[in-house]
Amino acid sequence: MQEFLESIENSTFSSYIRETPSVLGYSTVLALHTFGMAFLVGLSGVIALRVLGIVPELPLKPLKKLMPIIIIGFWVNAVTGVILTTLAIRSLLANWDFYVKLAAIVVAIVALTKMRHAAFADPNVADDTPASSDAKRWAKLMLLSWFLAVLGGRLTAYATYIRIQSAAAVAVAAILLVLLANILVRRSRSTAAARRASLAAAASTRKLEARV
Amino acid sequence: METFLRTWLEWPSVAAFIAKYTWAWPLGETFHFFGIILLIGGVGMFDLRLLGVARQLPVAAVRRLLPWGVTGFIICVVTGLMFVTGTRANVPSSPYDVIKSNIWLQMKFVFIGLAGLNLLAFYVTGMNRKVDDLGPGANAPLTAKVIAAASLFFWLGVIYFGRLIPEGL
Repeated sequence: MQEFLESIENSTFSSYIRETPSVLGYSTVLALHTFGMAFLVGLSGVIALRVLGIVPELPLKPLKKLMPIIIIGFWVNAVTGVILTTLAIRSLLANWDFYVKLAAIVVAIVALTKMRHAAFADPNVADDTPASSDAKRWAKLMLLSWFLAVLGGRLTAYATYIRIQSAAAVAVAAILLVLLANILVRRSRSTAAARRASLAAAASTRKLEARV
Repeated sequence: METFLRTWLEWPSVAAFIAKYTWAWPLGETFHFFGIILLIGGVGMFDLRLLGVARQLPVAAVRRLLPWGVTGFIICVVTGLMFVTGTRANVPSSPYDVIKSNIWLQMKFVFIGLAGLNLLAFYVTGMNRKVDDLGPGANAPLTAKVIAAASLFFWLGVIYFGRLIPEGL
């Protein structure tokens, strides 16, 4: 088995990508992996924000049109991910963090698929209708899984004790940021609601004055 | 000028913090990536709508995602400043020398500047007001499309050159 993995690592293609002095080798594959991640996670995150009601102004149905770009992002990541894995397959397969990342990606993709089905299932639903609780559950699971996948991907290169410390530090920082974002979102919603209420009150006053 | 930049770009306290706490650099890297995701999810999504993707979305609604993109950019700037000012924790050179010798880092800064100028063009040309009226199915003006395409190109360029930085160290 080790010989087989070694032959993959030392194949002409893997050796070229790993050792070429050209920037079109390893670094470009890594950059494409980042592009794929940004579109896959970024745009599926947009759908999740709408499903969770954080950006309720976005009509739900048209967001389905983002799926082709999300799928392209996934395949770019899958292909570049396989290439990057072949460059150091023996050390990666001995790295538990790598399995956490892969498991998180699988869960995120399943959750994305389920969220899509739950959110876009009814073509006749009005655009401003809140998403179903089922869709919300899958959206939350997807965001959590993407968080773990990105974290796992970043920490793969480090020693185990640094990984554990870093994961704890990222979790603490992320919880603090989510709490802060939650406060800001609530405050902006209450400000928007107060503005709507004052506009409605002004409009009804104008109507009353017109009648008088 | 050189003395000024040498002094202000290098923060020994940041480098010492990174060297002492081994989780600090990976924490910065992870948040730099979260920032990239927010940037593309916010600004990239807005650019894609102007280019005609998911045209049934009213632009004013998509604009609500821009604060998320700006938040992502701020996260990237803060973590990026940590990488620059604390360079000496990982590389035996001053940040000034690294910036002066690393073409990919220079390109990244140039592309961030170009993205900023492109954003300025969006406001100066009045496109920011024009696109706000675009309802479901409406096509963006050509100027707005060119600015949106340039925005995506510059931000992807920033990410690309960012990944090449280790090649120049």
